[in-house]
Amino acid sequence: MTQDKTTGALIVKAIVLVIAAALLFAPFLFQDVRSVEVAARICIFVVLVASYDLLIGYTGIVSFAHTMFFGFGAYGAAIALKQLGNTWASIGIGAVAGIALSLVLAVAIGLLSLRVKAIFFAMITLAAASVALVLASQLSQLTGGEDGITYRTPDFFKTATKLMTDEDGKVLRIAGVRMNGKLAAYYFVFFTSLALFIVMLRITASPLGTVLKAIRENEARAEAIGYRVVSYRTFVFCITAVIASLAGTIYAIWLKYTGPDTALSFAIMIDILLMVVIGGMGTLWGAVIGAVLLVMAQYYLRDLMEVASEATANIPVLPHLLEPDRWLLWLGLIFILLVYFFPKGIAGTIMDKGART
Amino acid sequence: MTPSLRTEDLTIRFGGHVAVNAVSCDFRPGELTVIVGPNGAGKTTYFNLISGQLPATSGRVIKDGTDITSLAPSARARHGIGRAFQLTNLFPQLSVLENIRLAVQAQSGDGWRVFTAARTLTGLTAKAERYLEAAKLTRVAHQPAAALPHGDQRKLEVALLMAMEPDIYMFDEPTAGMSLDHTPDVLDLIADLKKDQSKTILLVEHKMDVVRALADRIIVLHNGELLADGAPSEVMSSQIVRDVYLGKSEEPA
Repeated sequence: MTQDKTTGALIVKAIVLVIAAALLFAPFLFQDVRSVEVAARICIFVVLVASYDLLIGYTGIVSFAHTMFFGFGAYGAAIALKQLGNTWASIGIGAVAGIALSLVLAVAIGLLSLRVKAIFFAMITLAAASVALVLASQLSQLTGGEDGITYRTPDFFKTATKLMTDEDGKVLRIAGVRMNGKLAAYYFVFFTSLALFIVMLRITASPLGTVLKAIRENEARAEAIGYRVVSYRTFVFCITAVIASLAGTIYAIWLKYTGPDTALSFAIMIDILLMVVIGGMGTLWGAVIGAVLLVMAQYYLRDLMEVASEATANIPVLPHLLEPDRWLLWLGLIFILLVYFFPKGIAGTIMDKGART
Repeated sequence: MTPSLRTEDLTIRFGGHVAVNAVSCDFRPGELTVIVGPNGAGKTTYFNLISGQLPATSGRVIKDGTDITSLAPSARARHGIGRAFQLTNLFPQLSVLENIRLAVQAQSGDGWRVFTAARTLTGLTAKAERYLEAAKLTRVAHQPAAALPHGDQRKLEVALLMAMEPDIYMFDEPTAGMSLDHTPDVLDLIADLKKDQSKTILLVEHKMDVVRALADRIIVLHNGELLADGAPSEVMSSQIVRDVYLGKSEEPA
């Protein structure tokens, strides 16, 4: 049987379903500001990493420009919200502008360089991303330079906005959660991310999705049976650029701040790469698992180590090793172990298990 | 009958080495041409020039009167030139059915449909299943191609070409490395194809019994040049071919 009919595949889908449910009820399950922050970041990174998986995992294209498209969407919304006021129209204009810029660059990079060898293509995307990063910090009138831009989002997302009120006119609480604009903002992030993810799932199940896999598997043969590989590659590069750009717009709306560190830096690109490798390429489910694990680690590993360090205070050496400041070292070790024991990523490796022929 | 495929002075040079040297040849519908020649004679390279995997240094490839010399392999495939490969060249992690469906879908032009679920295109699947049946691969339809034994992979390679439904079929040693009990399956497929008089078939093959059974015409390539061309009986009995195969082709000094 092929990969999607194994018991492992069922397990992976069950895990993803649990994660989706947890994200859906996140504001109710984890009632503190930081947890909701983490949940929103997970939603957006799932979309961003899944779109990158369409590129690298499905089609076999290595690009380092994914954060650039993410940044275009984020900066588009940020600049529009700042300059044109905090309306939905500004968001629309910003999103469309981000998409348009992403499309133009994706087509240009795609047509110019998807014919060359993968390594050159990767380097060209790296160069384009560097230029975008430099431009964002230099065009400070528009982008706020290194400081970035803070702005207001539509009033609907304000914490003071009351979605529902009780008899006294105060904001209604359901299960202890305030029905305010912050909750609306979270669900905006959740449902737009979900919609984008479903769009990507449909793409992978379409005839086009099969062609993309064929190109990854055997580019020459795909060409020989009549598929114009360059066109398909350029097309998928454009689609993923648009999705990354939209993810950027959503993130900009959620954060109410856009700067090089949140939208354009290479640290984000590295995060995306880590997530796709940890989760497993070419499944889309891997993107969900990878994003959850890495975002959680980034937010909670320090806390966890602080607890561990205190718990082992009486034992020699260990507390020093578990010092919270060493969290990156441990993240690195965990990453190496994951790659060693899950060579095809968590989703990919589990999905191979339980194959019945 | 007018040729469906013609090569005119087709040549490719790799540095100083001329791998295919000014080969001019016509191929007609309803005719199965076997291309023979010792290893390194340029048979596969000649195929690569026709189907576009290699760019010609000079000369032309003409399909039904259209010059296709400068087209990409995918464009030539859409012009009706189908090619199977000598070394198995499949989509290893995709299922056998998906492999075939890709070839069917390439012809139907459904590859650009983004939001239709592939499994709802039942017409494509049904057609793909017919080709699987013909190649006796139905029982392994849902296994990844890489998991098949060599013989089945070779059959899939041939089935992939069949599913493209080209006008020109190019087989490059379709039975290479196949066990004797599998070989007839592939030969039956080619023999069935021969019955359709609108198809042009090119076949590179070493096994003489296969050549005898199928060939309408034989051409001999040697050191990249077209050495002989004619009916099987006359080519196989000619001195020049015997010399080539027995290694006595060098001119006396």
